[in-house]
Amino acid sequence: MSLAPPDLVLVRYGELALKGGNRRNFERQLARNIKDVVRPIASSVVRREHGRLVVVPARRVEQVARRVSEVFGVKSASLAWSVEANAEAITQLSRELLNDALSDVPESRTVTFRVRVKRADKNFPVQSNALERQVADAILPGPERVTVKLKDPELELGIDIRQEGTYIFLARLRGPGGLPVGTQGRALCLLSGGIDSPVAAWLTMRRGCQLGFVSFHSYPYIGEASKKKVADLARRLGRWQRRAALYVVPFTEIQVAIRDAAPESYRTVLYRRMMQRIASELAEQQGYQALVTGECLGQVASQTLENIACIGAAADLPVLRPLLGHDKEDTIAIAREIGTFEISCIPQPDCCTVFQPSRPIIKGRIDECERAEALMDVGGLVRRAIDGIETIALEGE
Amino acid sequence: MSPIYLDNAATTPITPEVRAALAPFLDTEFGNPSSRYPLGVRAAEAIDRSRALVARASGAEPRDVYFTAGGTEANSMAVLGAARARRGKVEAARVVFGPTEHPCVRNSALALAREGFDVVQAPLDRAGALDLAGLEELLDERCVLVAQMLVNNEFGSLYPVREVSRMTRKRAPHAHVHVDAVQGLGKVDVSIDELGADTLAFSGHKLHAPKGVGALVTRGTVALEPVIYGGGQEHGVRSGTENVAGIVAFGAAASAADDHLEASQSRVRNVRAALVQELDSLDGAAPVVAGPSVDFVCAVELPGPPAEVWQHHLEARGVYTSVGSACQSNTGEVSGALRALGFDERRARQVMRFSFSRYTTEDDVERAARTLHELAPELRAATR
Repeated sequence: MSLAPPDLVLVRYGELALKGGNRRNFERQLARNIKDVVRPIASSVVRREHGRLVVVPARRVEQVARRVSEVFGVKSASLAWSVEANAEAITQLSRELLNDALSDVPESRTVTFRVRVKRADKNFPVQSNALERQVADAILPGPERVTVKLKDPELELGIDIRQEGTYIFLARLRGPGGLPVGTQGRALCLLSGGIDSPVAAWLTMRRGCQLGFVSFHSYPYIGEASKKKVADLARRLGRWQRRAALYVVPFTEIQVAIRDAAPESYRTVLYRRMMQRIASELAEQQGYQALVTGECLGQVASQTLENIACIGAAADLPVLRPLLGHDKEDTIAIAREIGTFEISCIPQPDCCTVFQPSRPIIKGRIDECERAEALMDVGGLVRRAIDGIETIALEGE
Repeated sequence: MSPIYLDNAATTPITPEVRAALAPFLDTEFGNPSSRYPLGVRAAEAIDRSRALVARASGAEPRDVYFTAGGTEANSMAVLGAARARRGKVEAARVVFGPTEHPCVRNSALALAREGFDVVQAPLDRAGALDLAGLEELLDERCVLVAQMLVNNEFGSLYPVREVSRMTRKRAPHAHVHVDAVQGLGKVDVSIDELGADTLAFSGHKLHAPKGVGALVTRGTVALEPVIYGGGQEHGVRSGTENVAGIVAFGAAASAADDHLEASQSRVRNVRAALVQELDSLDGAAPVVAGPSVDFVCAVELPGPPAEVWQHHLEARGVYTSVGSACQSNTGEVSGALRALGFDERRARQVMRFSFSRYTTEDDVERAARTLHELAPELRAATR
């Protein structure tokens, strides 16, 4: 008879177990986030059991496990089988599990293996060490097929004996770590169609921050497809935060005003100062506590320390720059892993290409920025841009 | 003001007569054409009526019309199917494809190269027309397939397919001649005998039928290895339960296109002339012509910012145009025809495509041209 499918997913979380006072809050948020991502796959029950979560889906348990293993705050997840709390039933199921796992391994290979028992329910009559030996002795097929190795075995059969239930599992899916989204406040991320800003967003979310997205759109210098590209990026990031708002700010009037009033070389820096102003005001209106950008020191002309200072000076909120110390290759590696890279690589112009200066300023000066801005109705431009915002409610993958 | 749609080479709106023809097949006439009861038989009969209509529009026999899921599928079936059916018959079998083929032909040919065929592309001359002498040099006894499109989607270039076929018969007697006529049907007289082709590919949505239907038309029996296997529908050339509603719509659309052919041509000739004349006074604008062409497509090099910026400004005012071929706009590649005409990447980005249907009016293009004139001062300023 073939092995029955696993009936639940054990979810372990790392860091949050350490956070004494906040722990309950973190566990609740993690459970909420897990329910949220699992809901479209299968109706499920999520239980909290001392220091871990147990997800019991009505169907598609493997897909649920894979999905759960991507949720921020999860250290690892395992497909598990629940079993009656007696040595006989445990041994029987353990044998089936091991045989099933071995059926994928070529006959000629020897696999290293161990049994690891955790006995949280001290009413269970056999001690952990004794049970490990007892089960291993009973199920090992022979030394040419399986040898015991206590440290770093290829296969580890876990047996968890708890008051709530006894579970057996084989593999661990590694989670992304970090903190559950929603435990570290809310921030507004400036999202372009490029490679960097989605990665900056992802890193910030991984530290538990809930994000909104703001993007600047210079229609009709830039087409609808560019807006869709940004929305596609935000939707992809929705894999880690299911719901988010994307604020699309009309930016044409501002770019025209800067083109007409400011020295050409300052255009890019001045565009970005206006973005910071608009994002700051929008953040205050919508209750975001910080801004997030994909800026990286020295990566392009607008990202020298001088220019970052000029740009940052226009923000009224703390600006988080999680990529500041990244090399481009580091950022690209993450972008590939999280699936934003291929979207970012679709060639679509963004608003910074509009009226792009032929020789942008490398070491911008704040007083020069302010001198140029004194010739413009900055307050009016910001207000009209904010009044024209289109808000898109995103639902992630 | 109603929008002005000048992107008919990308796709066309479904006309009321086509919609009326297909409507029952989305409703009570849902039968599977392979079923033996009346509901199924009626569906089979509707397909046969469409087959006759498409045959008539292409000068073919009804039994030689095979419905497909579109132009890409018809082209892939012909290119892959004809070459593979001749595999092993000659040493170092060669496949020749035209200089500006649609990606579905070009990439199918390139797939054949990975299967071991000797795949080569025919050249253009300096006017952007097919270089017949250059093509002739590629043709010999080893040649198993020549794929040359009839009308180009980017510039409306009309290729001398009849000469290509004759030359092929003479120099490469074993070769199958395939013609991508997706942009040809409804624009020029498409007669499979006169073109001398073995197969023709059509697409429904380029002539006012819905997306997702097309046809491969053969001249008599030709050797084609199927690309899709299944229950043997369409004589085993293209298995799969037939898209009855789409096929019925395509039949109606092909028939209407054929009926209106001459009227469409003369109407569109005036439409194109009106556009060219209106743009004559726009400083720096010039039509881009790549060899002999149909009037249904008019490419224009625009002054100032890239054509994409013009495109979005036009669309904001309800005028729909295209920048390059909508199929290739994702890759940002410079088209072969433009390279032949000496365009670099910057100039290639200045090219806008206007494409017409028999429903486009002179008033439409005059309004479009007026909008271009109105935008010119602002967009010239954009490049400072």
